[in-house]
Amino acid sequence: MQGALSIKNAGKIYDPGGSHVVALDGISLEIVAGEFCVIVGPSGCGKTTLLNAIAGFDQLTAGEIWLDGELMASPGKRLKPGPDRMVVFQHGALFPWKKVLWNVTCGPLKQGRLTQAEANEKAREFLARVGLHGIEDQYPEALSGGQKRRVEIVRALMNDPKVLLLDEPFRALDALTKSVVQEHLLELFDFEPETIFFITHDLEEAIFLADRAVVMTTRPGTIKKIVDVDIPRPRDLKVLTSSRFLALKAELGAAIHEEAKMAFESGERELA
Amino acid sequence: MSGAQSDVRGSAAAPAVRPGTLFARLRRWVKGFSALNILLGVISLGSIACIWEFAGPLGIPMVKEVPPPSEVLASARDLVVSTQYWKGWLLSFQRIGIGFAIAQLIGIPLGLAMAINRTSFNSIFPIVEILRPIPPVAWIPISIVFWPTREQSVVFIVFLGAFWIVLLNTIGGASNIDRVYKRAALSLGSNSWDLFWKIILPATLPSIVTGMAVGMGISWEMVVASEMIAGDTGLGYLLWQSFQNNALAQVIVLMFSIGFAGYFSSALIRTLGRFATPWRQLK
Repeated sequence: MQGALSIKNAGKIYDPGGSHVVALDGISLEIVAGEFCVIVGPSGCGKTTLLNAIAGFDQLTAGEIWLDGELMASPGKRLKPGPDRMVVFQHGALFPWKKVLWNVTCGPLKQGRLTQAEANEKAREFLARVGLHGIEDQYPEALSGGQKRRVEIVRALMNDPKVLLLDEPFRALDALTKSVVQEHLLELFDFEPETIFFITHDLEEAIFLADRAVVMTTRPGTIKKIVDVDIPRPRDLKVLTSSRFLALKAELGAAIHEEAKMAFESGERELA
Repeated sequence: MSGAQSDVRGSAAAPAVRPGTLFARLRRWVKGFSALNILLGVISLGSIACIWEFAGPLGIPMVKEVPPPSEVLASARDLVVSTQYWKGWLLSFQRIGIGFAIAQLIGIPLGLAMAINRTSFNSIFPIVEILRPIPPVAWIPISIVFWPTREQSVVFIVFLGAFWIVLLNTIGGASNIDRVYKRAALSLGSNSWDLFWKIILPATLPSIVTGMAVGMGISWEMVVASEMIAGDTGLGYLLWQSFQNNALAQVIVLMFSIGFAGYFSSALIRTLGRFATPWRQLK
């Protein structure tokens, strides 16, 4: 199986000559192929910075990121985003000027891996699997928030990425829609396990989805705690009330709360 | 809200009529009665026409100097059968067409280039910032000297009217594209050619369409002004000639003609815009 992600001592300093903000400091994390890894932490802890470095959108100032033995990121390395690391963005990045089918099929067509007919068939199959039928000829703007997120996940998966990177993808959704889309994501994952790097600040979401939940600290962004989520798959919403879930939630919650409080207090200090 | 309504409808105690005071029901009835709105329009237009028509006998100051609607209509009847009038339409539209089209052909690619390439922006923007504040009408004398024919100088003024706004709108639109679109496209395997044609251009189109709509309005102002000063044909020239000949009724007919021409051109741009950006119709 593909998609072993190895983050070695990754660091990122914004504006080293001026304000010198340490966004990431000595992050080391081994994600095995097919693992669902969730990074959870308060806002501004550098989660997105780490994701951008993996995706090839932004450079590291220290350390290395490897994917299946291939160097993806290191200081000074040329940025090279690619279909092996597909991203689902926080606020969505479906191209509004193109219809759903075009959005979903453009990747494999551009990379020349599928013919138009194959891509269309695969798109319909994937969309159907997340409960979307007959929306191929709609513009993204005509879809609801939850539908858009599912289409975007499908667009990413159409490229058979080695790792799927999701940056707080369900943040803007209401609680009901969120639970539906989460279940769809889990179904996709159970059907075709793929390495997933998922960012959130929502504790329940982290435990519900993850094989491993990684708690990050704020400024500098470091790893505070890693928790194995030993809740068996396939999971459904009933998991949310199980005693194991609640125990994990308490364990992670304590770590997160400490962090959030420290971040809040340091913010207060900066203001004072 | 809808839940509350369905509750009311579902319960046996719900009244047969829709809720609301008598006044609210009356207002709903009036709103649905569109003939009343038409009547209101007719009354307001009619009273303006009456005041205008009888301004002379009534001795209303200033308005009485203007030829009454009956004279204007008579003049309109004479004008619509004259070839000179329709030639005026044709020539003004031709000048608009050429000047406006050249403005798009230069403004859009230049704006895109300036938005994409820092060097081109830094070298061209100072020129733009110095020339842009000059009202296109102020260019008329130099334009007459510069261009070999009057025709060319009028087209040039029309061009200036549409050029700055489309240039600035294109630069603005193309520089404000959310970077997630570019990042997503790069992840999906796009090269810079795809990035331009599939991301930058369509993302800028709405701004370009806005620039065109505004530019079209300014173009009509410019064609009328420059025809008055430098033209020997066209609607603006006819308007000025009529004034010189003291044919004020004809002046008014031409005013409305130009208004209609401008409206028609804007409608054309709006239609083109809808056609070019179908995804925007959902908002």
